[in-house]
Parts: sequence; C-alpha cells; structure tokens
Amino acid sequence: MYLQRLVLTNFKNYDWQSLELSPGLNCFTGLNGMGKTNLLDAIYFLCIGKSRSALTDAQLCRHGTDFFRLEGWFQTDDKLVQIVAKVQQGKRKILENNNLQYANLSEHLGLFPVVFIGPDDTQMLTEGSEERRKFIDNTLSQTDPTYLRCLMTYQKVLLQRNTALKQFAERGAFDAGLIQALDAQLAPVGRYIHQKRKVFAIELEALVSLIYRHLANNEEERVQSRYCSSLQDTAFEDLLARNLDKDRLLQRTTAGIHRDDLELSIRSLPVKRFASQGQLKSLLLALKLAQYRYLENQKGLQPVLLLDDLFDKLDAPRVARLFQYLQSGSFGQVCITDTDAARLEKIVQNLAVPLYHYQVQNGSAQLQNSTL
Amino acid sequence: MNFSSKLLEEAVQAFASLPGIGRKTALRLVLHLIQREPQHTERFVQSLLRMRQGVRSCTVCYNLADSELCQVCIDPRRDRSLVCVVESIRDVMAIEDTHQYRGLYHVLGGVISPIEGIGPEQLHIEGLIQRVAQGEIQEVIMAVSPTIEGDTTIFYLSKKLREYPVRLTTIARGVSFGGELEYADELTLGRSIVARVPYQTDATSL
Ligand SMILES: [Zn+2]
Repeated sequence: MYLQRLVLTNFKNYDWQSLELSPGLNCFTGLNGMGKTNLLDAIYFLCIGKSRSALTDAQLCRHGTDFFRLEGWFQTDDKLVQIVAKVQQGKRKILENNNLQYANLSEHLGLFPVVFIGPDDTQMLTEGSEERRKFIDNTLSQTDPTYLRCLMTYQKVLLQRNTALKQFAERGAFDAGLIQALDAQLAPVGRYIHQKRKVFAIELEALVSLIYRHLANNEEERVQSRYCSSLQDTAFEDLLARNLDKDRLLQRTTAGIHRDDLELSIRSLPVKRFASQGQLKSLLLALKLAQYRYLENQKGLQPVLLLDDLFDKLDAPRVARLFQYLQSGSFGQVCITDTDAARLEKIVQNLAVPLYHYQVQNGSAQLQNSTL
Repeated sequence: MNFSSKLLEEAVQAFASLPGIGRKTALRLVLHLIQREPQHTERFVQSLLRMRQGVRSCTVCYNLADSELCQVCIDPRRDRSLVCVVESIRDVMAIEDTHQYRGLYHVLGGVISPIEGIGPEQLHIEGLIQRVAQGEIQEVIMAVSPTIEGDTTIFYLSKKLREYPVRLTTIARGVSFGGELEYADELTLGRSIVARVPYQTDATSL
C-alpha cells in the first residue's frame, strides 16, 4: 500500500499543489516555514482523518480562505483507492472513499496505517502520561475498530461522570443511581481497553528492545516497557465504587484507564529521570519503528512512514544507523523532510529504492530529481 | 427583496421565521393568502391561536393534549398493560404512524446528559415510576435512541423500576435507526416494536 498521488487545495500554505509520489522514498527539502511539514501533515490527514497538529480543522485552511480539500490516490494490492477530505468552516468535515462519503469518520481509521516521527516527539518520553497513552491509543485505534469505539464511549461517559460529580457538588445533591448508570457503561469498555493495552505493551516491549539495540548499537542496553494501570489488580467496577467518596470530593473520576501509563526504562532505570539525550532519541525512534512493525504485523500491510525534520536533532552516527535499519528491514513508502538538501541527498544516494526529491518553497513543491 | 407594503413584509418575515422556510417560500405563502378570501386567513390564524392557547401536556404521559389527558390515554381500546418510553413527542408520532403499537406512551422529554445540563430530575422520570407503581402496567418498552446517553437513561430507569414486577424490554437494537427514532422508516420501526427483546443490564454493547 502506498500513496501514489496527492492533491492539496487551500491546505495550510498551499494554494494548489499536485504531487506524484514514489512507492519507495520521497524527500522534501527546503527552508523552515516553507511547507515541508505541511505535506507530511496532509498525508497523515488522509490516512487518519485528522491533522497531527493541535490546530482545529478550520485552522488548517490557507490564510484568507474558508475551506480546504485533500485528495489522495492510494495504490493497494489490487486496486486504486481515492480518498478525499473536505473541510469547510462551519460545516461538518467530509471524508470520501471512492466518492462514497463515510457515515462515520472512524470507519476510515486503519485502512491506510501511518507512522509519524516528528522532531519534538521525545516529549512523549519525558512528560506526563497523556502522550504515552495517546501513542498506545493511536496504534490500537488503527488496528482494532472495537478499541476505537470503546475509547470514544469511555471518553464520552467519563466526561458525563465528571460533569455530574461537579454538578452534585455545586447543588449539594447526590444521585447514586446516575453514578451507577454511568459506571455500568464505563466498566465494560474500560475492561476491554485495559486488556488490549496489556497485551500490546508486551508485544511492544519485544519489538522496541530489538530495534533499540540496533539503533543504539549497544547490546547491553535492555529496554523495558511496563504497563501500569489501576485496573491491574482490581475489577473496574470495584475500583469506581471504592473511589466514589474521593471522586465526589475532588469532583472528578480519579481511577480508571484514563490514568494508565507506560513506564519505560533502560537498564532498569526509568528514562523519565535517567536517560541521556542520546538515549531518549534512540528510544523514541525505536518506539515509533516498533509501532510501525506492530501495525505491519496486525494489518498485513506496510504503513506509510513519515519522518519530519529528524536530522537537525539527530547526530550523524544515529542517522546512519537509522538508515541502515531502514535498509535492512523491509519498509514500504517513506517520506522525509530536511532543511539541508545536500545532506539528505548524500544520506539517501546509496539506497536502492525508487526516489523522488521535491524542493519546497513558499507553499510550492518542485520535482528536483527522480530515480523512478 | 423590496416590498411596496410594510404589512406584506411583516407577514413574509413571520413565515420566514419558521424552520425550513426561506424568504422565497414565505413570500409565496403570503401571496397565496392574499389571493384567497379574507375568511380563509381568519380561520387559519384562529386555528393557530386556539392550538397555541389550548394545547398542553398530558398529565399522565406528557404527550400533547387538549385537556388533562391526551387522546391516547383516554382511548379505551388501548392496551393499558403496555407503556412505551420515548424521548420526544415526535417519537410518539413516528411509532403511531407504524400502526403496529396499541399500548400507552411515556414521553421523557430528552435523555440524561449532564454535560447538556440534563439530569434525571429534568426528565419525566418520577411520573413514569408513579405510573408503574400503580400496578396496571406489566411491560415497559424502552424506545430510546441507541446512543451513549440513551443507554445511560435506560440503565438509570431499569434500576429505578427494578423493585416493581414489570417486564422491561427494548426495541430491537440490531436495526439501524439512523441515529433517531423519527427517521426510521415505518416498516422497520413497526417490526422492531413487535419484535422487542428483554432488556439486560449487561447489554452495553462494545
Ligand atoms: Zn397521555
């Protein structure tokens, strides 16, 4: 599976742009702020159904316009699939698969698996647990529609429960029946999410260890990823009941899978406190590439790999080992951005894959070079 | 649009304030009234006024009614052992259109959703429990939309009704309602009311 053609209209700083892409490697070079990352975000949007940035859909419209449109032609084993995303201010986002509109955007997720590695992603290792949960959720949502459905239900019911707790406190009233009704809805979906995360964490650890050893070039450094959840040794229903007094006092739900974490350590030392910058970078790459392998194993097809501006932050030996790894393993379509065209050309020149190189300037991409 | 008459313009604006009616349609309706005899408009306005002043909530089922009780509640041919719980008056009309249901109704006035400021006390839940407590009702059919909030509401009701000897059923959830009861086609809706299934507490689907 790969993206063969990409058309952007009014997306971020692109007025109109059409790009042919290589099933192998695609390089986008240019100065910062020219629109390299926006191309990767457009690809991500077509795969996932939303932007990777924190911006709302409406904010992705080119300055001074009130709509954008993305069109992607995905080549799968036996057919060509056209995906179109249309966003217009004040209207519902539309996603179409071969001209058929999805009734539910979630139906699209997982058809075209994607992995994005960005320059600031090491925050995922050093900051709060939310980013690590997002990583797990992003992965499992692409492989398991039931997981996604459970997650959406969980988040909605959790919001209802927290709002109810606040309202009880404000009004000095309490309705045990309402909390019971909400808990009865949280429990089964929470259990499902917990089970899935538990199994995923085990598979992830095996994959990460293997890839990290390769990237860090160090056999000694063993990576561990431990899934921490309050559901580990208590049934969710009991947990909710036991914490009810505390929840009423704090006016929010204090226990549940929304507090889960993935504890990562190298040589048994938690990376959050003890890892060096180099270790963090290797580990992040290893985690994302493990995500790639996991998606590949589960879906039976190779995800699109998007590497955004990695080389400014990575040292040369790490970059070399990353490419060694990309070359040694089997990879599908890869898209890379870099500010330094000469550097990137040098890195990729020996790779035996079909390549497109685009120069990006002021919201316009020009084909420089192709070995297709 | 420019009007030669202020009165005409006001009437057009009045029609255009209704949902689904644009300025063009509004103008067409007003011109139609002008072409008809004055008595026609008088009868038209009178019926609206009488409706607005006279219509009220049925004190038993919260359906629309002309007096204390609605037409459904006073109809002696209705099966008084059956009550169908719905969110809105429009759901009642959708079910009535199927001609498949001969029991009574209970209109909740919405579903439980704290984030929208709707708790159980904002809905007509107490009234339902009182009706069930009187003992004539043997089966309560939950015909609430299959949403997360709908599920919360059904679960809440089932807990409240547990102490009474009534059968709780739901309309078949397998059928697609397109989100709302009123949009289900008559045949599907009619069939799912006939083929209702017992409500199970753990039926929260994954
Ligand atoms: Zn009535």
